Amino acid sequence: MSWVAVAAARLRALFGRRRLERELDEEVRFHLEMQIEDNLRSGMKRAEARYAALRSFGGVEGMKENYREQRTFGFLETTAQDLRYAVRTLRKSPEYTISAVSVLALAIGANTAMFSVVNTVLLQPLPYRSPERLAMLWTEDPSRNFREGRSALWDVEQWRQQSRSFEGMATFDAMSMFLTGPDGVEQVAGASMSPGLLRLLGISPVLGRGFTTDDAEQRQRVVLISHRFWQARFGGSREALGATLVLNGYPCRIIGILPAGFQVARIDADVWETHSSRQSLRGREAWFVVGRLRQGVTLAQAQEEMSAVARSLRDQLPEDARSRTISVVPLSLYMVGAQSRLGLWMLGGAVFCVFLIAAANVTSLSLARSVARMGETAVRAALGASAGRIVRQLLAEGVLLAAVSGLAGTVLASGGISLIRAYGPGNLPRLEEIALDLRVLGWSLAITVLAGILVGLSPALASLRSDLRPPGAAGGRSVSGGVGIRRVRRALVVADFALAVVLLAGAGLLVRSWWNVNRIDPGFRSDRVLMMEISAPVAFSLPAKQRFYQRVLEAVQATPDVEEAGLIGELFKDNNREELVMYERAGSAVPERMQFAAEEVCGNFFKAVGTPLLRGRPFSSADGPDAPPVAIINETMARRFWPGQDPLGRRFQRGGRDSAGRWYTVVGVVADMRVQGPERTPIPQMFVPLAQSAPPRNVDLFVRTTSEDPQALAATLRSAVRSVEKNASIAKVGTLEQQYEAYLTQRRFQMSLLIGFSIVALLIAAVGIYGLIQYSVATRTQEIGIRMAVGAPAPEIFRMILREGLQLTLAGLVLGLAGAFWMGRASASLLFGVAPTDPWTLSAASLLLIAVGVTACCFPARRAMRIEPTLALRQE
Amino acid sequence: MANKADVLQGTLTLLVLRTLEALGPLHGYGIARRIEQISRDVLQLNQGTLYPALLRMEQEGWISSRWGTSENNRKARYYSITGAGRRRLARETEDWRRMSSTIERFLGLDPGSLAEEGG
Repeated sequence: MSWVAVAAARLRALFGRRRLERELDEEVRFHLEMQIEDNLRSGMKRAEARYAALRSFGGVEGMKENYREQRTFGFLETTAQDLRYAVRTLRKSPEYTISAVSVLALAIGANTAMFSVVNTVLLQPLPYRSPERLAMLWTEDPSRNFREGRSALWDVEQWRQQSRSFEGMATFDAMSMFLTGPDGVEQVAGASMSPGLLRLLGISPVLGRGFTTDDAEQRQRVVLISHRFWQARFGGSREALGATLVLNGYPCRIIGILPAGFQVARIDADVWETHSSRQSLRGREAWFVVGRLRQGVTLAQAQEEMSAVARSLRDQLPEDARSRTISVVPLSLYMVGAQSRLGLWMLGGAVFCVFLIAAANVTSLSLARSVARMGETAVRAALGASAGRIVRQLLAEGVLLAAVSGLAGTVLASGGISLIRAYGPGNLPRLEEIALDLRVLGWSLAITVLAGILVGLSPALASLRSDLRPPGAAGGRSVSGGVGIRRVRRALVVADFALAVVLLAGAGLLVRSWWNVNRIDPGFRSDRVLMMEISAPVAFSLPAKQRFYQRVLEAVQATPDVEEAGLIGELFKDNNREELVMYERAGSAVPERMQFAAEEVCGNFFKAVGTPLLRGRPFSSADGPDAPPVAIINETMARRFWPGQDPLGRRFQRGGRDSAGRWYTVVGVVADMRVQGPERTPIPQMFVPLAQSAPPRNVDLFVRTTSEDPQALAATLRSAVRSVEKNASIAKVGTLEQQYEAYLTQRRFQMSLLIGFSIVALLIAAVGIYGLIQYSVATRTQEIGIRMAVGAPAPEIFRMILREGLQLTLAGLVLGLAGAFWMGRASASLLFGVAPTDPWTLSAASLLLIAVGVTACCFPARRAMRIEPTLALRQE
Repeated sequence: MANKADVLQGTLTLLVLRTLEALGPLHGYGIARRIEQISRDVLQLNQGTLYPALLRMEQEGWISSRWGTSENNRKARYYSITGAGRRRLARETEDWRRMSSTIERFLGLDPGSLAEEGG
């Protein structure tokens, strides 16, 4: 084990270098003196004695080097030496160091932050057992564009029995729940799960137990609560287990507490109850279904089997549901849809482009520096430094620069991550999980190392290939290595501009898409409108609810500063069911299946939200419970059922031929409202008077105020509602504007980021070309002086320099446009209302690029113009 | 002798350890001198290789060093053999003796026996 002892001794010798050097010196000096004395004694003269002593010793410095190498880990010592030297040289040129570090730190920081988003949202597996085997099952009807439809419990039972691909299936859905507390009734985020759900996902409660089939079958009033709820309401104490909550008027016992952050397919509830998975009748299609694939079964196989199951079930389904299919979609894909994924990858690619641009820029700077230091390198080589040693030193400089930038960048990234978590799009799943974890830090390290290698290795390689003539030799400036480096720098600038064009074009396309989306008429006027969700107490009977809503409306309308007020069951819809609707046409009833929405309205709803009434009349007090059923429909529905005709007075019915539904008479037509956000086309929608239908559990109240700030009225309105019924629950208070804006956040987020990236890219590219042209002017000073001396006018010099810069810019532009074409096509689904190869956008991006490039070159070109020929000619 | 042979790298350890064992603590110069003396000038030491070798032996723990004063009142570093060094010396001596006796036997055989011994 002697190598251990040797290694230990070498490690120890890393410390106290100075002392060890001194001792070595002394020992060698002693040896030489003794030898000289001996030589003197044997008769040599003084000078001869010294020479003989040195000769017999051999090369002193060489021996000392050998000694040093033996003493410690030679590699470590030389690396430490290299790093010390690098620190010195970097400190001596602060402009280079500061600009390189800031550019790289920004690029590394942005990349790390973006990667943390991509990592959490896209790469990290969902927090379930074997999440890749989990899939959502949807009821769909592709012929009617009905996708991601929820399913009926009876259907799920059939699927379970008739399929073998799945280990198990479970159902769940969000529910509104009202918790009665000491301060009154409040709404809590609730949900219901089938008893097998937790086991299917592989999740166990942190305290207590999950649901059993007995709980569900026997309709026990037991609930599970979320970790967040547990901490907030019970302070995390174990007494929560077994405690009672009064939910929807019934006392329920808490039997378990779910782990922190538990959610299923974006349903993140505080209170979970259970439901029986069996049902004798088909019932409503209202449940989300998740299944776990059996070991070894692929998604494709499962999909095939479920399609077959759907076909075999078809005969048992009512006629209107005949064309249903089942779609099996991986859970991860549902969590982050294809479009969001594409958006995130696009942003990730864009920010990596910025990194490449930054790295190219700093590499170019470092190459310029190496040309300036060619003399120094030549001297080192002449003194005996091997090529490897020189390369190592240059590499150390690059790595040191990159390391400092990397550290600074990571600090910036953590700041960026906090910004993203605070201001990022709310509908980005797992936003709260984004953090600087190991994988993100690993990525940060990787790109830092990449930057270090690029920045350090390129001058190293350049110095190897250049002719290391000592400085001052004839034609020192046009050393072959210098020309090679020039070419590389030009290529880097071209690459910079190419990447910048791609980013600019992308940003331009997103800006136009954003513009188009914003121009879409939402169908209502969202200024000065306050909205809130109001729920009648659960214990109220239906007539009591009716009266409650009416009285709330009256109280609100009596409040000062209220211009208009109205109620609707629910304005913004996320998921639509399909329905069968029959309508009158040419004397007969025509059934048609379509996506359809129906809502109850009360009061001056349409006036409150500013939806114009196109034909007919609004509801009035005459449309009471005993009056004939009337309905107001939207444009899309009017066009669909009675194209080109007057829909007023026509009738339609919900349900098929056998249904006992009532026939509605159309009394009015309103403009289409974008109730699913601006980007989805409106679906047929009908509105009925609240007085003529069953009151819903809760309603959205819309109030158009006279003041500019609707929020100011919130408190007054709350008390108005409470004055009617103090146990009423009020939730989701906000402006209509805010609600609608929520649909735009993701697009705005992508657009802002890409604009930011392209501006940064453009700036870096501008600085890069400025530096290059500036250097070119400096090296060509003599040549320019000669030209001016033989009669070239100053403007021609200006044009000459500008032309050089323009060439590079145009080369970059051409390359970049090709890249932009390809990128645009790849991310076409992110755009709205604009083609990926939109000529206006591409032209604008090109013009901007050329303008920036030319402007950056103007400064050195002007300087060139001002060169004094006589001074230039004298310059060496 | 026309040439003074260079000392084989591997045997330097052996020579230094033996010198230190026999003559007690010595400084580097002293070791070099003694080796040349004892070898009756057959072995000419490239003194440059001595110090790295001494460092190596000290790292291995076969010799130890301390600073002292020389005969002419100068500060010098004295090396002495350690217990581990003595054991190493014994092993290397054994190896050397075995190796050289094998070669001796080889060289001492007449050509005829060489052919025989091979069988």
